[in-house]
Amino acid sequence: MVSIRLDKVTKRFGKVVAVNNVDLEIEDGKLYVLLGPSGGGKTTTLYLIAGIYKPTSGRIYFNEKDVTDLTPAERNVGLVFQNYALYPHMKVYDNIAFPLRLRKEPKSKIDSKVHEVAKFLRIENLLDRYPHQLSGGQQQRVALARALVKEPSVLLLDEPLSNLDALLRVYIRAELKRMQQDLGITSVYVTHDQSEALAIADKIVVINKGVIQQEGTPEQIYENPRNVFVATFIGNPPMNIVKGTVLEDGTIETTGSRLTPPPAVLEKIKRLKLKNILMAFRPENAVVSEHPIEGRFSPMGDLFEVEPLGRDAVVTVTVGEFVIKVVMPTREAMQLRIGSKVYVNIDPSTIKYFDPNTELNLEYIEA
Amino acid sequence: MMPETTDVETINRRRMNLALGIVVLIASIPILVTYFILMASSFTNQMITGSMVGQLTFTLRNWILFFEGKLTVASAAVYSMWDILRYILNTFIVAFGVMLVTTALATMAGYACSRMKFRGRKFLIQLLILLHAFPGVSLIIAVYALYIFSKGPIPSQWWTLYAFIYVIVARAALEIPMDIWIMKGFFDKVPWEVEWSALIDGASRIKVWKDIILPLVKPGIAAVAIFSFIAGWGALIYVLVFLPPTEKTLATYIAGLLAGGSLEVVHLPVVAAAGTLYLLPTLIFFSFVRRYMLQTSLSGIKG
Ligand SMILES: Nc1ncnc2c1ncn2[C@@H]1O[C@H](COP(=O)(O)OP(=O)(O)OP(=O)(O)O)[C@@H](O)[C@H]1O
Ligand SMILES: [Mg+2]
Repeated sequence: MVSIRLDKVTKRFGKVVAVNNVDLEIEDGKLYVLLGPSGGGKTTTLYLIAGIYKPTSGRIYFNEKDVTDLTPAERNVGLVFQNYALYPHMKVYDNIAFPLRLRKEPKSKIDSKVHEVAKFLRIENLLDRYPHQLSGGQQQRVALARALVKEPSVLLLDEPLSNLDALLRVYIRAELKRMQQDLGITSVYVTHDQSEALAIADKIVVINKGVIQQEGTPEQIYENPRNVFVATFIGNPPMNIVKGTVLEDGTIETTGSRLTPPPAVLEKIKRLKLKNILMAFRPENAVVSEHPIEGRFSPMGDLFEVEPLGRDAVVTVTVGEFVIKVVMPTREAMQLRIGSKVYVNIDPSTIKYFDPNTELNLEYIEA
Repeated sequence: MMPETTDVETINRRRMNLALGIVVLIASIPILVTYFILMASSFTNQMITGSMVGQLTFTLRNWILFFEGKLTVASAAVYSMWDILRYILNTFIVAFGVMLVTTALATMAGYACSRMKFRGRKFLIQLLILLHAFPGVSLIIAVYALYIFSKGPIPSQWWTLYAFIYVIVARAALEIPMDIWIMKGFFDKVPWEVEWSALIDGASRIKVWKDIILPLVKPGIAAVAIFSFIAGWGALIYVLVFLPPTEKTLATYIAGLLAGGSLEVVHLPVVAAAGTLYLLPTLIFFSFVRRYMLQTSLSGIKG
């Protein structure tokens, strides 16, 4: 029963600011996913929670208790390292038993716990081996077993499934989620795989350059990204961006096509005195064609590429400085000629509007 | 029949080992031959040379003479058997002393150089190599001055003991810089995450050091132990200078036999026996420690 709170936490390594003034509250029993690009500060945040790194400034609380100055052991966390960090000179059994032996638990209890967790992770037949006799995926599961066997109050996972094959990843991921819910362990899960994040997270925290970009449920993050970074990071392919000019009459124009934004958006545009605006839309909410379609917002561009992926195809169009990817039925896509002028017909109701200066979603700007 | 399938890597390694083995063998033939002649001579009536192989007979007499402290068949004993045994004991004391001091200090300092941040760390690490380049002989005057100076306050009945300690520490000091460097290399290869993992599992700093880190650098410790043991076992100048003339080691004893014109008088096979004895512990010690040297693999930790 632990909730975690980071209060204005900053971590510097020399000149590098790995984590920058982060405020974050992790609810008890929930699975939070830290999602972000490489070098974004995910591992650093995890180590700060574990107590491996001390924050340069700011405090960390478990429940209402200030744990900033406590050792990792005193925080009772389980951590799966990005590189597993198994003890190479110990057999798998001893690796898993290590934390229990340190607690001086009786031998029989250690034995039953080790076998239980090994069975859960399907590594029972490996207990007799040394880490160097295991595949990457097996090593990863041993690391997971070692973290779980302690029954920690907080479980921290640094890309724990990155080395498993696709099938096993989905299996362990589902099992992990179920187990996390059953045990009610507050968990922080680091990944740069967004589909993994969307699949298991109670809450996703998108982090880039040491700054939290957005925090929310998978739906919130996917449906309503807070800024351009999140919009162009989440989704496969992610959201597309086009730039428009705001005209005197309040309509928005791009390459001759015009759009009247919803009244709420229009009001904010006026208040912020925006001359330009960024518009984002999902690849599946547009259709590429040789002629503009009535009722849609249809910027014009050059057809760059068509990649058939079975039933659907990814169609790439360049509109001015922006590259746009649209997912549409392969049959229709194959009618188009590479290099020709085409229209990207966007469903106006799905468009999100961003201030080009702050790159913030207008919906997140206070009216 | 199907040929036995072999991994690509295994084939490579086997060929590699074979090639390496042949090269090493050829390169060591002169040394091996010399050692063989030395050892064989200690069991024959004369030194073995090419011309008289037919006239050799097997005998243990040289070894008996050696332990009786006699240098020729005819002469009276120059040293007693107790002298010889004491010299052997002295050799062990110095060798193990140097080994223990060097290994303990190099392991701890190597860890500090690898893991801890402190002012002047870079400079210190570079200095280690420079220090190693200093020949021990060039320092001997300063080291001797320090010896005389530090011996002053010590009561004279303790001087022999003090001389031993001083020889061990001074000789170890020559070995330590290079061995710190070696140990640092081994510690550098142990990922931080392994240490952190143990800390998170609830281990104390001491426990992490003892149960996790030391086992992972065992090959380094073994190497350093061998090098320093050999250095202590063969120490000549420092032993000659600091130990009182009555306290010899095998190295200084043999050097004494061969020096000062006595070479014409002594029966050479006796010297060969002394030389063989002098070699033996190094070989035994080496074969004992060798298996630790190549043992630990650091996998289980991704790049
Ligand atoms: N010990 C360190 N010393 C100096 N800089 C560091 C250290 N650890 C991390 N950094 C820097 O801090 C930033 C964040 O690193 P971090 O490891 O938290 O990224 P990450 O989000 O986990 O990335 P990845 O997905 O590649 O693991 C990076 O710019 C990194 O270079
Ligand atoms: Mg990382």
